[in-house]
Amino acid sequence: MRIPDEERALAKAARDGDQNAFAGLVRLHQRRAYLVARAIVTVHEDAEDAVQDGFVRAYDAMNRFDTSQSFGPWLNRIVANAALDIARRRKVRNTDELTDALRSPFRDPAEDAELKARLAEALAQLPDRARSVIVLHDVEGFTHAEIGDMLGIPGGTARSDLHHARQKLRGLLKDLKE
Amino acid sequence: MADELKFPDADGKRDDDSIGEPLVSLIREAYTPPDAAAWPDMYWAGLERRIMSRVSAEAEKSWWAELLPWGRIVLAAAGAIFAVAGVINYEMAEPDEQIAYEAIAQPDLTSASDEPIASQYLTSDNDAVTLRYFLSN
Repeated sequence: MRIPDEERALAKAARDGDQNAFAGLVRLHQRRAYLVARAIVTVHEDAEDAVQDGFVRAYDAMNRFDTSQSFGPWLNRIVANAALDIARRRKVRNTDELTDALRSPFRDPAEDAELKARLAEALAQLPDRARSVIVLHDVEGFTHAEIGDMLGIPGGTARSDLHHARQKLRGLLKDLKE
Repeated sequence: MADELKFPDADGKRDDDSIGEPLVSLIREAYTPPDAAAWPDMYWAGLERRIMSRVSAEAEKSWWAELLPWGRIVLAAAGAIFAVAGVINYEMAEPDEQIAYEAIAQPDLTSASDEPIASQYLTSDNDAVTLRYFLSN
């Protein structure tokens, strides 16, 4: 994979302790990092915490980062770990929280509220890992191997989790399709 | 609805098992940060500031943590120098004290004036002389 020159230069400077360069990396990668975290923790505030924790951990570990590699996948692994830590700490989540989290971005009352509510409920019924895999793969486009790397599971397990998660999601949304 | 559109897999091949683009769009929209939907630039700039403020605080903490072992070494070295200087100072000060002590404890009789002491004895001698004077007269 070809690494953009800008990112490589920023990563090298950040590794030498340049905080402005690290801010440049934050600017380039924070959106994707947020989505990785959100796929795992589902709640916006937790996702923000995970992103911040992830970037702080990445900054601390910059001297171990190989600048011949792409920064994104390395960062996403760290952010995913931070998100998994938060998810473990806050294991008890009720589905109402998730439903609210999913509803909140939809500000247009004319939109189909029922569809969104059903989607939120369906996603909430999926096991944590299945939901993470489906969002990371189908929404964010990560490969099975990348997802396995992020979640600490083999790529084959991520593939099989994805298959079962999709089946379950389809089953839950079957009547909507009709 | 799930089968309406197919989502290409990361390796470029069609993924026939995909949940479909409409559902993907809904999930993507649902997972957008609430404030980013209305003011994306402001939201992401704000998040960047919060991240960098934590990074700066962490960097400062680790700077102090790095400095602390050196600080201990410097303090230990300063303590050792102070102790050595104290010993040297004590050693150099001892002869002066000895001289001062000896000057008091063993006065140099050759140079000392004998008048006050002699006057006491002279007083008694004078008494004897005076007595002898009266007796002889």
